[in-house]
Amino acid sequence: MPQLNPAPWFYILIFSWLVFILIIPHKVVAHTYPNPPTSKTTESPKTESWSWPW
Amino acid sequence: MMVNSFSQFESPVFLTIPLILLALILPWAFYPSPSPRWLSNRTLTLQNWFIGRFAKQLLASSTPKVHLWATLLVSLMLYIISLNLLGMLPYTFTPTTQLSMNMGLAVPLWLATVLVGFRNQPTLSLAHLLPEGTPTLLVPVLIIIETISLLIRPFALGVRLTANLTAGHLLIQLIATATLAFMSIMPAIATLTSILLLLLTLLEIAVAMIQAYVFVLLLSLYLQENS
Repeated sequence: MPQLNPAPWFYILIFSWLVFILIIPHKVVAHTYPNPPTSKTTESPKTESWSWPW
Repeated sequence: MMVNSFSQFESPVFLTIPLILLALILPWAFYPSPSPRWLSNRTLTLQNWFIGRFAKQLLASSTPKVHLWATLLVSLMLYIISLNLLGMLPYTFTPTTQLSMNMGLAVPLWLATVLVGFRNQPTLSLAHLLPEGTPTLLVPVLIIIETISLLIRPFALGVRLTANLTAGHLLIQLIATATLAFMSIMPAIATLTSILLLLLTLLEIAVAMIQAYVFVLLLSLYLQENS
């Protein structure tokens, strides 16, 4: 089985880890996510009726 | 040098350039860097959606300590699933059929989960080697069995991915060869075989995605167990 040939093992290992460390996390972390939408609360805001100061 | 069915898995070299380099680097051209625009194009939106949903689904049931591994696990998932799916195209080389790469990913990451467990909570990590409620007589045997099952995990992780993808590619090559061989003699059988090939290809696409997911899921489970 050619996968068991030890000759390219080391450099396949090194290159796959180099790609895994250098290229991918940069692209993954660059994706940003906005805050999730919050549901509206059912309570209505307390408002005082404007009482004119005269 | 014998040319056999396994020849497709030899790491290809063209004009002394190992082509696995191209197979490892070029897929990332499909992932553009996200722009600061609020509404981006379809590719970026889909990738954004996939990465976010996957990260949430993987890490929803785990502690904040496990969330520190989020970038690593999501990158790993993206890595394996891209390489697997691109390998389903004809004439491409799938680096994840190489045992060297899969063991190279599995052993260090598994070892990292074990070492994190032993460093932060050594007693609890050792306690995993003996399930609760074991009868006293079985204790020594079970510790040995659990240790063996712990030590075999990296090999299982690596070999599972390699074997699944190798077997899939091998089957596709064999059935395609059979279809071609039948076309001149028995075209009806060739049609049936080509339908089989189509179904097998669909299965392999599913396997490509599932195996990537399983790899990352098991790693996250080993991590949760140890943190």
